[in-house]
Amino acid sequence: MFKNNNFIERSIKGALIFLKQAVFADEYALKKGFLQSLDPRIKAATFFLFILQALFIKNLFVLSCLYLLSLSLACFSRISPGFFIWRTWVFIPLFSLFIAIPALFSNFSPGETMVSFKVGALSLFITRQGIAGALLFVVRVAVSVSFTVLLSITTRHFELLRVLRIFKIPQIFVMTLGMCYRYVFLFVEIIENTYLAIKSRAGTNIHYKKGQRIVAWNIAYLWQRSYKLNEEVYKAMLSRGYKGDTFMLDELKFKARDWFWLVFVLSISVIFLATGVKI
Amino acid sequence: MAEETVFRLEDVYFSYLGRYPALCGISLDIKRGEKISVIGANGCGKSSLLHILDGLIFPDSGKISLCSKELKEDAFEDMAFSSDFRKKVGFVFQNSEVQLFCPTVKEDIVFGPLQMGKVKTEIKRRLDELAFVLNIEELLERSPHQLSIGEKRKVAIASVLIIDPEVIIMDEPTAGLDPLTTRHIIDLLTEASRSGKTIITATHDLHIVEEISDTVYVVSREKKIVGSGSPERILADTQLLKENNLVHIHSHKHRDATHAHPHLHIDHHH
Ligand SMILES: Nc1ncnc2c1ncn2[C@@H]1O[C@H](COP(=O)(O)OP(=O)(O)OP(=O)(O)O)[C@@H](O)[C@H]1O
Ligand SMILES: [Mg+2]
Repeated sequence: MFKNNNFIERSIKGALIFLKQAVFADEYALKKGFLQSLDPRIKAATFFLFILQALFIKNLFVLSCLYLLSLSLACFSRISPGFFIWRTWVFIPLFSLFIAIPALFSNFSPGETMVSFKVGALSLFITRQGIAGALLFVVRVAVSVSFTVLLSITTRHFELLRVLRIFKIPQIFVMTLGMCYRYVFLFVEIIENTYLAIKSRAGTNIHYKKGQRIVAWNIAYLWQRSYKLNEEVYKAMLSRGYKGDTFMLDELKFKARDWFWLVFVLSISVIFLATGVKI
Repeated sequence: MAEETVFRLEDVYFSYLGRYPALCGISLDIKRGEKISVIGANGCGKSSLLHILDGLIFPDSGKISLCSKELKEDAFEDMAFSSDFRKKVGFVFQNSEVQLFCPTVKEDIVFGPLQMGKVKTEIKRRLDELAFVLNIEELLERSPHQLSIGEKRKVAIASVLIIDPEVIIMDEPTAGLDPLTTRHIIDLLTEASRSGKTIITATHDLHIVEEISDTVYVVSREKKIVGSGSPERILADTQLLKENNLVHIHSHKHRDATHAHPHLHIDHHH
């Protein structure tokens, strides 16, 4: 069947795309719902646990329960279900379907034939094991993507960065990630502003060739600017005494609700794993 | 007060990438508690001079010293020296965009004092105080890069003032600010100066020069100091100001005769 590696890679890629999309919208993170009120550390750890479970559980019913759990969490966190389902189901699973479809066929998943048809000289059989495998796979992706999205839209991005730091991800990596966030925002802004500047000076009817030149020049310029910016930002950090580690003013504190949530998650995880791992 | 020299520059030369000269033989002395302003045309090297003073770039030749200790690149490798220096000297960049690099305004403002290991309750108190004075209380939880230019500048100023440095260096602190905010910032500077701080400002805004300086330095396009003295004297020297793009000839028609006179940006009599 599927190599787990491949699955993880797809899921991570999908999750990254979603992170990027979710990053600039703080609106959900600022709502006063259940997930928003949890400590980011506990939230990240428990969600990671859910995603891990999704990788190991082989029972479709248990996986579906996990998925339902993510949906109800979204509802309790004042995220409109329509928005949430649209986000998780339209984009990423599309990707995974591309991997899931070939696996339906006997060439990839040998087993009991259910449907067979011919394409040219090639005869193809859809197997029962193939269908089951593909379904399992899609639900797995859906679960991991749902939890990743939930985490990223209910937590402000700097809190996520802080959590990474707490989980001992190297400082340099976290700083770089934070910088990337800033850059992506800045780039989007520069591109927008440049576009406006071109429009204000030349109107929208720019000749195709000329437009191409402007874009090419701008990309080159963007790199130059980002380099200069990098240097300047570093100077600004030095000037305010940067020594290589960052400190926080408000320490995070666990509340009773965080502990309840943790106990809840641990107990259902035991149940899920006990019923879901052995076929 | 004893006439103690804080910064001394002796014949400092600096060029970017060895090709673009930015300072050509600058010598000056800055005394403790003095208010200094540096004025000059665009590209005359004001920002570069301030960067040198803040130990961010180093002279190609010549010497700069702070309290008679020479500022050299390797001196800053010494942790004790560099953190002492950063506590003493605060710098507000011309481009607030680069100065703000934290996820929220609040974190940006407290970045300096946290790095320097100041007491957290004290940091919080200063934060509240500055946020109130600069009227940025509602911005504290926002992302700095989503603010307007003037708001960014206020945050940048707060992030330096909270360090409470002995020397405050500001690169065009009032550019892009509305008159009332400009007033607040000048008041803050005046108050800081009264409590004995040294204040160095680069500006184009001749309106504020008088209030923020005891000594004005005029830097020419040749990247040299071409004039210095009390603000009254410099502001009265129209010829010097004219040569350095600081005033423009204002010409307008009176019935049929065209009449021209220098237009100083300090007085608004017409
Ligand atoms: N990063 C850089 N690379 C190359 N040349 C530079 C760089 N920064 C500044 N310069 C050059 O150094 C000279 C002095 O620049 P500086 O920024 O100090 O001027 P300024 O007086 O602050 O100007 P403004 O009033 O526009 O802020 C200019 O001629 C400029 O072209
Ligand atoms: Mg400048």
